[in-house]
Amino acid sequence: MEFHSPEIAAISQPGQFVMLGLGLDRPGTWLLPRPFSVGWTGEDGAIGILLRTYGEGTLALSRLRCGEEALLLGPLGRGFEIDDRSIECVAGGVGLAPFIFLAAREAAAGRRVRLLYGERDAGAVFDTDTLGDLTGHEPEIFTEDGGAGRLGRVTAGLDPESETLLLGCGPTPMLHALAAFALENGRDLQVSVEEHMGCGIGTCQGCVVQSADGRWVKACIEGPVFSVGELDWSLP
Amino acid sequence: MTVTMCQGVFGAEFQSPVLLASGTCGYGQEYADLIPLNQIGGIVTKAVSLEPRPGNPPHRVAETPEGMINAIGLENPGLAGFVGEKLPWLREHLSQAHVFVNVVGRSIGDFVEVVAGLDEEQGFLGYEINVSCPNVKGGTMFGTDKVALAELVTAIRAETERPLVVKLTPNVPDVGDYARICQDAGADGLSAINTFPGMVVDIDQRVPLIGNQSGGVSGPAILPMGVYATWRARQACTLPIMGIGGIRNATDAIQYILAGACLVQVGTASFVDPYAAMNVHEGIQKYLTENGIAQLSDLVGSLQTEEAPTPPAPSG
Repeated sequence: MEFHSPEIAAISQPGQFVMLGLGLDRPGTWLLPRPFSVGWTGEDGAIGILLRTYGEGTLALSRLRCGEEALLLGPLGRGFEIDDRSIECVAGGVGLAPFIFLAAREAAAGRRVRLLYGERDAGAVFDTDTLGDLTGHEPEIFTEDGGAGRLGRVTAGLDPESETLLLGCGPTPMLHALAAFALENGRDLQVSVEEHMGCGIGTCQGCVVQSADGRWVKACIEGPVFSVGELDWSLP
Repeated sequence: MTVTMCQGVFGAEFQSPVLLASGTCGYGQEYADLIPLNQIGGIVTKAVSLEPRPGNPPHRVAETPEGMINAIGLENPGLAGFVGEKLPWLREHLSQAHVFVNVVGRSIGDFVEVVAGLDEEQGFLGYEINVSCPNVKGGTMFGTDKVALAELVTAIRAETERPLVVKLTPNVPDVGDYARICQDAGADGLSAINTFPGMVVDIDQRVPLIGNQSGGVSGPAILPMGVYATWRARQACTLPIMGIGGIRNATDAIQYILAGACLVQVGTASFVDPYAAMNVHEGIQKYLTENGIAQLSDLVGSLQTEEAPTPPAPSG
């Protein structure tokens, strides 16, 4: 899904997100805004997100039609911090979004990243041609039923010996598996976490995750990207 | 025509009758980049307790039909943290908007100590006493116990001459009884109302969705209950009332005003549109102009009703 928002598009960084909502003016559409990682930006002021319908909220957003207005607040939060190291992006489901953005940026700068992308089944996999166009990369696809790409979870594609910078975004169980891999192998990992969010700007204190030193930290302004060592991975 | 918004409420001039509700605007600073805070009536801060509180485990918020549920658990930096880190910003930046500090405690001593610790500070107008947060153990104790409420308000009154507003819980048989107790104990105003206790169940995991198990429900779902509570409070006492609960737009806010509120607070709606409070303000102004009402106070409590009936018995 794509929106025209030049101000947000111009300053967004991979890993940052927008709060997307419908505002208060449409009768019968009460909806708290939802956080979405910025998936891509265009020079024409476009900003793209990956929207997958889970419940009533995402369903309402999915019904937005071309030309309608929505309310976007962003870019918000702390994005990925990359350096000169080679990068491996590990994505699960719509957790692919920030890596579309990141891979495209890297491709534009003449650099390559490794893009590992996992889904439950083949039916959920985003169109690979479109992904190729958006990212300038060819993602390595993993499905749990083997219906597309390689059979298995996306984390199976990681090499313990490698010394790349790992970046992860996806469902919490996947992030746990990734964190376990990184901690076991002494690898640098940054993850983009997901938690129920109210405001996106730090006021409601709704979206907390537990830090390694036992504090609740707000995913919206202190994250959503954290280094693996910043968080407590002992919780479910 | 020029309309006058709010004069002489809590001994102050309010350029707008619209404030941001406690828990939805942090300590002001978080919102300053988004909306011109000095164009609204004011803000009510996130709760301040004597000691810092870490808050509840996640999930802390979730959407509900026409609303949201939250159980933040009064996470806050404590009295010293508020005075050291939050109040200086408010003092420096909010010259036009009034600040109420929401105060919470586990005992009368807690409340009194927070108020005593704040009272000499500059940068805020008054207190909103939170006797009604449903998200901590015993959070509504004072709000649902008439004797304890009277003792609490009396004790805080002895500590301060600043405007003292009590935020009522709707979780009582008749809000009017509690409004009158607050007035008799020396309060200067009321906020009606806080969230309703509620619960959301995750049917896949078969557990409460909210980390605290239960939470407070806010948003448009509670609008009619808030308007009703305001109306009951208006009938029971003469204190100025801040109407709060489910306000999205001027139509919602004017319902509260007609029912007896002289100020209103916008809460959950700010999450949906940060400009909600500004839009409510503009809408109220438009309503006054269109209806030839020179000052907002002419509208307050002007609801036309028959003789006040007793609260309805549960039906069914």
